[in-house]
Amino acid sequence: MRTTVFATALLIPLTAFAQDRGPILLDVTETHVLPRFAELSEATQALVNTAQSDCVPSSTALRKDYSTAFDAWISASHLRFGPSETDDRAFALAFWPDTKGFTPKTLSKLITSEDASVQDPDAFAEQSIAGRGFFALERLLYDPSFEEQGSAEYRCSLIQAIAADIDRNADAINVDWQSYAPKLTQPGEDSPYRDGDEAMQELYKALLTGLQFTADTRLGRPMGTFDKPRPNRAEARRSERSQRHVELSLIALRDLAARLSFDHPEIAADLDAAFSKSIDRVQSLEDPAFADVATPQGRFRLEALQQSINDIRQIAVTELGPTLGINAGFNSLDGD
Amino acid sequence: MTSRRHFLAGLAAASLAPVPGWSAVGTPDFLSAALFPDGSYRLVGLNADGSILFSLPLPDRGHAAAAHPIHAQAVAFARRPGTFALVIECSTGTEIARLSTPEGHHFYGHGVYSRNGALLFTTENDYEAGEGMIGVWDAANGYVRLGSFSSGGIGPHDMVLMPDGASLAIANGGIETHPDTGRSKLNLPTMQPNLTYCDLNGQVLEQVQLPAALHKNSIRHLSLRQDGLVAFAMQWQGNKTQHPPLLGLHLRGSEPKLRSAPDDAQTTLQGYAGSVGFSSDGQTVAITCPRGNALHRFDATSGAFTGAFALQDVCGLSSGPTGLIYTTGNGDVGRLATNGAETRTTAPCQWDNHLVPVNAAV
Repeated sequence: MRTTVFATALLIPLTAFAQDRGPILLDVTETHVLPRFAELSEATQALVNTAQSDCVPSSTALRKDYSTAFDAWISASHLRFGPSETDDRAFALAFWPDTKGFTPKTLSKLITSEDASVQDPDAFAEQSIAGRGFFALERLLYDPSFEEQGSAEYRCSLIQAIAADIDRNADAINVDWQSYAPKLTQPGEDSPYRDGDEAMQELYKALLTGLQFTADTRLGRPMGTFDKPRPNRAEARRSERSQRHVELSLIALRDLAARLSFDHPEIAADLDAAFSKSIDRVQSLEDPAFADVATPQGRFRLEALQQSINDIRQIAVTELGPTLGINAGFNSLDGD
Repeated sequence: MTSRRHFLAGLAAASLAPVPGWSAVGTPDFLSAALFPDGSYRLVGLNADGSILFSLPLPDRGHAAAAHPIHAQAVAFARRPGTFALVIECSTGTEIARLSTPEGHHFYGHGVYSRNGALLFTTENDYEAGEGMIGVWDAANGYVRLGSFSSGGIGPHDMVLMPDGASLAIANGGIETHPDTGRSKLNLPTMQPNLTYCDLNGQVLEQVQLPAALHKNSIRHLSLRQDGLVAFAMQWQGNKTQHPPLLGLHLRGSEPKLRSAPDDAQTTLQGYAGSVGFSSDGQTVAITCPRGNALHRFDATSGAFTGAFALQDVCGLSSGPTGLIYTTGNGDVGRLATNGAETRTTAPCQWDNHLVPVNAAV
């Protein structure tokens, strides 16, 4: 007995340096990741069903299911690794920003030529990602310039095809996550992550890039410069979802941040307070499509919101990052 | 564009002006930007043995530099998306010109002189159009901007002057960014990097694209062998479970050849190569991989992988008087020879991305 105790005592220091990431990895995977993709898959199924019976762009039922499914995607869209990246599924679900206007061009081409791929899901999946996903559907449901293009019948088929393609991608991500989950929770031999630190770093990166995308792109693009605000660049402005996307993404990222910092209550408290401020700011806006960015007051409010998100990033980088064994290389982080 | 009159005026000025050559500053082998312990960013002239000949302050973090072929002048570029570059007289440390991009452009951090030093070419982003541009500056006449032409793609990064002295090779990384959104990548699903060869007026001579499956492999950095063989280093923007080649070799008029280490080594690189360089004898080509903390070496002729060397945060790479010289973010300056990597000095600074050779002609 005495010998056993001694042997155990000798072994502990060897493993104590490597923190056990298992519980957090399991928690994030099972309560943060998997439910989001399951919900997305359900919501896109509802969207397909509705589109099949009612494809009128102004239909309340169709727009409602579109909105619910898009909400589910935005709430999962920071998880850009593994199954969402296979076959460009995430991009096929949401191609934005579309800096060169590929989406309207692609849709017009499909409509003008009455492209037959709308009748064949496999063929439609081969179409340009710019003509698929939530942003393509937004054009058909909310952009007046598409109301008169081509025949109503073809536009109906196109709406149904895009909805079905969204559902197909959402299902594929959800199904693949069932087999990807163990790779994330049990790093090593059969996993792209060699150890728990690498798996944690993947999730940390998802947190950071999610914050960056919301601050720099969701807010930064419409903000433009003071002299030249760009309200027409706001994300999903036609369906007036721009503000909502910032709110949903912050809520999702707050949940992820809380789970990642679980072992460090002080850091968790700092992050939570910072998220709280940001979320209060976005919820107090009354500017769904960020149209007010063109006014000095409206711009000031978005700037303050952007700054509050950058404050969260700062806490994540300076407090949370170092607890996760992030390699802060001068060159390796430069990315150029 | 450049008129013949301008060009000749430039030549005259270059030969008449009493401007110190590189020998006035000890003829450094390389230039590199670095971060010093006091927090200052500086442009450093250093030798292959790691000794520092001079270090001059920069206003912000640098990226690469361009060395004038004759005079002891260097252009230090701000890190992307910087809108200015400093031309520094290295013998005095004074700023002799400040290049500012025209409205709507920013620099990518690389540039190259024409052979006689009369012209400077810079890679730039015309960011509202999302198009890559090459800026042309009259180096012999106070660095007046002469004009610009298309880089032949999006996101031009590194650029080299071909051995004929009459054409450029440009690495169009393919990634669109906009200063409003920092360094966010705006077009990954549609990106299409290429290697473009053009004459000094921007006339495209040849373009090389990768196979469609590799359209997310951003061609970023270049190195040149004297026979015109171009080595290009890539950064993978696609699925992280894939580990495509990060080194390519191309000779005008032929198909590009992509080179990879065996799986167990390739999979550790995180799809990211930072610099590429040929050895002084041209027999060896290597890439530095700061995310994988490794330098990968290949035979330049056969393309065979000839070794991986573990080097923490290695990035700068260039041919030295013999072999290859590398620098790291930890301050190491070392030499890669046939028998392995040998650190020669650890400098009191963090070397930034690139080691730029000074090919002093006089």
